[in-house]
Amino acid sequence: MLAITIGREIFAQLTMNGIFRGASYGLIGAGFALILGVTGRFHFAYGFTYTLAAYLAYTFHFRGTPFGPFSDGFPFIVSGILAILFTIVVGVAIEKYIYRPIAQGAGATALLAVFVAALGIGIAGQSTIALLWSQQSQGFYDKDQIVKKSAWHIWKVTFENLDVFQFVTSLTLIVIFSVVLTKTSLGRQMKATRVNPDLATIIGINANRIYLVCFGIGSGFVAVSAIWYGLQYTVNPDMGARPVTTAFVVAFLAGTASSPIRIFMTGIVLSLLEQWSSMFIQTRWTQTLVFVVLFVYLINKSAKDTLWGKRIISIVTLQGIRG
Amino acid sequence: MQIWINYLDQILIYASLALSLNLLLGYAGQVSVAHAAFGAVGGYTLGYLVTAHNVPMIYCILIGFVFAFVAGGLIALVAMRLSTEYLILLTLAWGYVLIGVFSTIPALGGSFGIISINAKPHLLSFFGWSMQRPTDWLVPILVLVAVTYSICWRLGESPFGRILKGVREDPVATQSLGKNTFRTQILVFAVSSGLAAVAGVFYSGWLGVSTPGVFGFTFSLTIFALVIFGGMANFSGSMLGALVLTSLDPFLRRVVKFDQSKAFLVQVIIYGLLLVFLTRVRPQGLIPEGSTLGSILRRKRSEGRTEMGKASETAPTFAVREAVAEVSQVDRHARWEKAEVVLEARGISKSFGGIIAAENLDFVLKRGTITALVGPNGAGKTTVFNLLTGAIAPDTGTVTLLGRDVTGRTLDSSARSGLVRSFQDVRLFQRLSCLDNVLLGVQDQPGEKIRSLFANPRLVTVKEKETHEQAMKWLSFVGMQDFADVPTASLSYGQTKLVSLARVLATEAEVLLLDEPASGIDVKWVDNMLELVLAISAEGRTVCIVEHNLRVVRDLADHSYFMELGRITAEGTVDELTSSPRLAQAYFGTV
Repeated sequence: MLAITIGREIFAQLTMNGIFRGASYGLIGAGFALILGVTGRFHFAYGFTYTLAAYLAYTFHFRGTPFGPFSDGFPFIVSGILAILFTIVVGVAIEKYIYRPIAQGAGATALLAVFVAALGIGIAGQSTIALLWSQQSQGFYDKDQIVKKSAWHIWKVTFENLDVFQFVTSLTLIVIFSVVLTKTSLGRQMKATRVNPDLATIIGINANRIYLVCFGIGSGFVAVSAIWYGLQYTVNPDMGARPVTTAFVVAFLAGTASSPIRIFMTGIVLSLLEQWSSMFIQTRWTQTLVFVVLFVYLINKSAKDTLWGKRIISIVTLQGIRG
Repeated sequence: MQIWINYLDQILIYASLALSLNLLLGYAGQVSVAHAAFGAVGGYTLGYLVTAHNVPMIYCILIGFVFAFVAGGLIALVAMRLSTEYLILLTLAWGYVLIGVFSTIPALGGSFGIISINAKPHLLSFFGWSMQRPTDWLVPILVLVAVTYSICWRLGESPFGRILKGVREDPVATQSLGKNTFRTQILVFAVSSGLAAVAGVFYSGWLGVSTPGVFGFTFSLTIFALVIFGGMANFSGSMLGALVLTSLDPFLRRVVKFDQSKAFLVQVIIYGLLLVFLTRVRPQGLIPEGSTLGSILRRKRSEGRTEMGKASETAPTFAVREAVAEVSQVDRHARWEKAEVVLEARGISKSFGGIIAAENLDFVLKRGTITALVGPNGAGKTTVFNLLTGAIAPDTGTVTLLGRDVTGRTLDSSARSGLVRSFQDVRLFQRLSCLDNVLLGVQDQPGEKIRSLFANPRLVTVKEKETHEQAMKWLSFVGMQDFADVPTASLSYGQTKLVSLARVLATEAEVLLLDEPASGIDVKWVDNMLELVLAISAEGRTVCIVEHNLRVVRDLADHSYFMELGRITAEGTVDELTSSPRLAQAYFGTV
């Protein structure tokens, strides 16, 4: 009812914005959920990989190589692909050379130890980017004008062609990923590792390799999102914080063991809530809304676990399962 | 001169924030990435009250403390049942929500914050001591650090702190020893938050501003880094961490001559890399738990000579060895018949969904005797322990302990009323010493209450000495006195079973429920364990064991109940039970 009194146009516009923005939350959320769910690493440096991907694409396109045929920069598409590949390599390297040795050394407190290291990588990485590229925002666009930004109008709703491209790539990746997860041997190995890495190792799954694959996929997802975001707006050292934190919330709300489709939908629902709420409350409050939703969810979860479930489980099952 | 004193002020304020975070993170094991948000509660209290209502700073300290204390307690209420990853997310969200809300309230200056606190210098004063220059601030800030250090130290290094560490290692095991973990967890979160707010008041006063940026996520991370860097559960570590890391800024700006923004970035990069490097190379931080700066330096010098923490695989020697006469099973059972009933369970049932875990159980435990629950795997023996101690509330039935109804109590309250259990999987507090493990078993320690810690320190000291003697007595009883200072993580499995027995004994509980006391340990240790259990029962305590090893049951039990699929199907002496072909088949399967 309220929506009608406020105006159908605004409502439609907000819904459209919500769906487009939500797609990127969903994609990043699915990547984070995959990493946390399967490997158990609280990959807090995920925001850094996001920013890194956008900066790499920007640099490849505008600077290119110091000499040779690409000294003016790589073509736009090549830059994007190179940036995604580089980000994947960085994500995998973080797992292989930092998280894994730390987790092996820390034993029972691995989650906290990895989180601390991830924090370190995150803040050091972001500041390094600010130091190398300056703290100012940089305009990022296709200077060859092949992927040109243009506004589309349908009825009274306005959006950019980039919104659509972003939505379609996100959805495609999510669909491919859920097919991989359910239909292929690799997907089954991931799910087995998620349930019990030790048991998975016993039946011949190389859990360490699966972990690397998860970091690869997650880093790829975040890179795709970041590059679209950079194209639509600008690239700046802080750009990772907001979308990735929202994606954390999405992953936890949906559940880290949920199907990618469900996480994607959760991202869209959360984003719609964020957009629609701006009809009733001031825009500056909407940013906080996501966390209020999370807060309510956690309070509810905590209350449920107290009355039922967790307390009993932690006593009945063997040691080591806490929460 | 003033500029260096200013840096010193900053180091000390950061140190006080690190101290209170360490109490929460290092001692209680509660990961919080929102410590600066609690500081913001204090900072904004000062900013608002000073600029809008002309309230002197000293009242702002009190009000800020109370606000943050309550907020911290509420967060703890949600946090206590959550696992680490959810806790990180919860505190992250809390930080964003709080700062987000502050920056939308016009009375708090919106996104600019409150920026003219020091425009009213007469309010920033204590008892006529006005604070305007950095040197004026130094004395009050020193008092702040001293008070914060004292409070944190008193809470952390006391019986209260032992419960915190117990909760950190294993909350369920802590409850099973009669400790109210609920109250402890809420209190520590509240106190830590309150102290952060007090430091926040000083920080805002010293800076002259309270803005969303000042208390943002980056500041929370900085404090977090100080604690990790200095060493968890170690207050001198936090002081050292603050000193070293906060000195980076003047070093980069005055010595290396970076400009302000570059110095800040390089500083953050160094923080980050240090965190990564440290978790890899020295995860325990500069000063590990239980060490002091002095002890580390000394150890460095005498390295190679000390050989600490090496637990050898020697069978224990007994300080107390009760002469247990060889009594025949028939005599023992006759004795059981005459003994006084201590615990009585009537009609206990429990089902989980459609699965019946216990059905109409009736049994008694008698003083000075040993009762055994035997039966095949999955018969519900451990479930009986869970039902008795209140880990699981029964659907129907009553449990009476010495005439009092104790049905459906919580784990800790049934332990306090004299019904204590051990765990099949031992559940020792891994990073604590054997002595600390046993100390946690001792009941009625005044030092576990915050009020007596501060109001009655003499009583706490006297009692703590007695508690130590008691714990040592039980540790000696099981023959582990030489391992008092060894962390239980480095013990062999058999030794952990002994320490866990000592821990249960230290509760002085009337009824002891021992879950497989002799399983999984070396054959040569089994006899020792049997003698210990017999000695306990000879002292007049009531013992109930769950055991698979029929030899153990035969040697120990005065009376046995046979369980199958959640029901008690037979009772009597072990020989009576094993002579029944049907029960033998149920137990061993078809031969």
